[in-house]
Amino acid sequence: MSLTGYKRSDGRWGFRNHVLILPLHQILSAAARDIEEQSQGAVAVSHDWSQVNEKDHERIIHSLAGNATNPNLYATILLRLGTPIEDEVISRAKSYGKTKLIEISLSELKSLDKLTQAGITEANKLLLQAKSEQRVAAPISAIVLGLECGGSDAYSGITANPALGVASDKLVEQGATSILGETMEILGAEHLLAKRAITKEVGQQIIDVVARYEASINYEGIDIRGAQPSRGNIEGGLSTLEEKSLGAAKKAGNAQFTGVLEYAIAPTKAGLYFMDTPGHDIEQLTGFGAAGVNITVFTTGRGTPTGSAVMPTIKVATNTEMATAIPDIIDLNSGTIADGTQTLEENGQEIYNLILDVANGQLTKAEIGGHHEFNLSRLYGSSL
Amino acid sequence: MRKVLVLNPADNIAICLADMDAGTVIDQDNLKLTITQKIPRGHKVASKAVKKGEGIIKYGERMGHATKDISVGEHVHTHNVLGDRLSTEVS
Repeated sequence: MSLTGYKRSDGRWGFRNHVLILPLHQILSAAARDIEEQSQGAVAVSHDWSQVNEKDHERIIHSLAGNATNPNLYATILLRLGTPIEDEVISRAKSYGKTKLIEISLSELKSLDKLTQAGITEANKLLLQAKSEQRVAAPISAIVLGLECGGSDAYSGITANPALGVASDKLVEQGATSILGETMEILGAEHLLAKRAITKEVGQQIIDVVARYEASINYEGIDIRGAQPSRGNIEGGLSTLEEKSLGAAKKAGNAQFTGVLEYAIAPTKAGLYFMDTPGHDIEQLTGFGAAGVNITVFTTGRGTPTGSAVMPTIKVATNTEMATAIPDIIDLNSGTIADGTQTLEENGQEIYNLILDVANGQLTKAEIGGHHEFNLSRLYGSSL
Repeated sequence: MRKVLVLNPADNIAICLADMDAGTVIDQDNLKLTITQKIPRGHKVASKAVKKGEGIIKYGERMGHATKDISVGEHVHTHNVLGDRLSTEVS
């Protein structure tokens, strides 16, 4: 199967050619939504950041600057007040990629109405330019895949997750990049993942990010290891914590780990990575989007509509009952593995094929449904 | 339709895809065995004999070890498996 995409001048590849409206202060979020609604196809996100100096300053700058320059974007319109901290976001964005950045400032236009009008005019101009860009043949290495799960069930670890692992392994073998997140989910299997690291140092980094996470949890007075596997897990057939965590980590297949990434930071070469992310679905997507992920596969047991403004997000069901109940949310069913009608390999090949189809332009259910959630992740909470 | 799921050729367990009764015969994907006791859906059955102390292999990776000898067709769970490093079970 051939792959096509948009070749960016910074060498990265996109599989969509969106115009993003990104407010740099929460009070501009409504204007961003208005511009999306009244333009001819721009996508907007909103958030609650009010530019207060926080301990999470760097994490927020990375998240905003990284998403503004995701390779799936033709251009980003940054709505700003005109403050120095916005300059910091913009200069960081310029260091990440050559995505076209257009600034519209409230301090110059003096009114939200004028800002919204300017945004609509600019968005429509950029959308026309984006439409005239042609897809060209792309190598498999153009794919930067995000691996996510949410609303897991007893089948996640035996159907959708290992099937996604089959697809991820096939892509990584051919030079693509794949990123596994959710530190909490790998707790208990980190020593097994560390053995699959390309060097001892990378293995130690995997152990260290889990230990760091665990220390932060213990700080809150919660002993998460004692709580897993839970009684429900044991009733479902999971015998050890390693088994439970392997079930989540199997989204990343059996490939070697090339490196460990801090939240929202892009990998510098191809391969399989682990990123230290929260378990929260949308915060994880925001971190992937900032790291330049250009397509995400999201396995789900209970079914969730969550999508992203910057990445097509493929939903894979872990069981046939749910896949049949909500076909408007689910793109592919891995429940067939538990039904005994498909092997892991066969279903994994289907996921692989769908990743290529979606990269080539086929819309996901989340895109059709207009789901593009966005959350800034904080470790310390907002100080004001 | 398959009755059990083999996740990796290196595994010494398979996943039961339905509630199993003792005497159920499995013959699929180069795997032949007879279930020797009741096993609930989603739980593991030994596809190879495992000696006490040997690893339980799922997804081709070691998820714990056997706390007693396990024969082919037996239920593999908390009564005969313990995590290598961390576990809520009492050995």
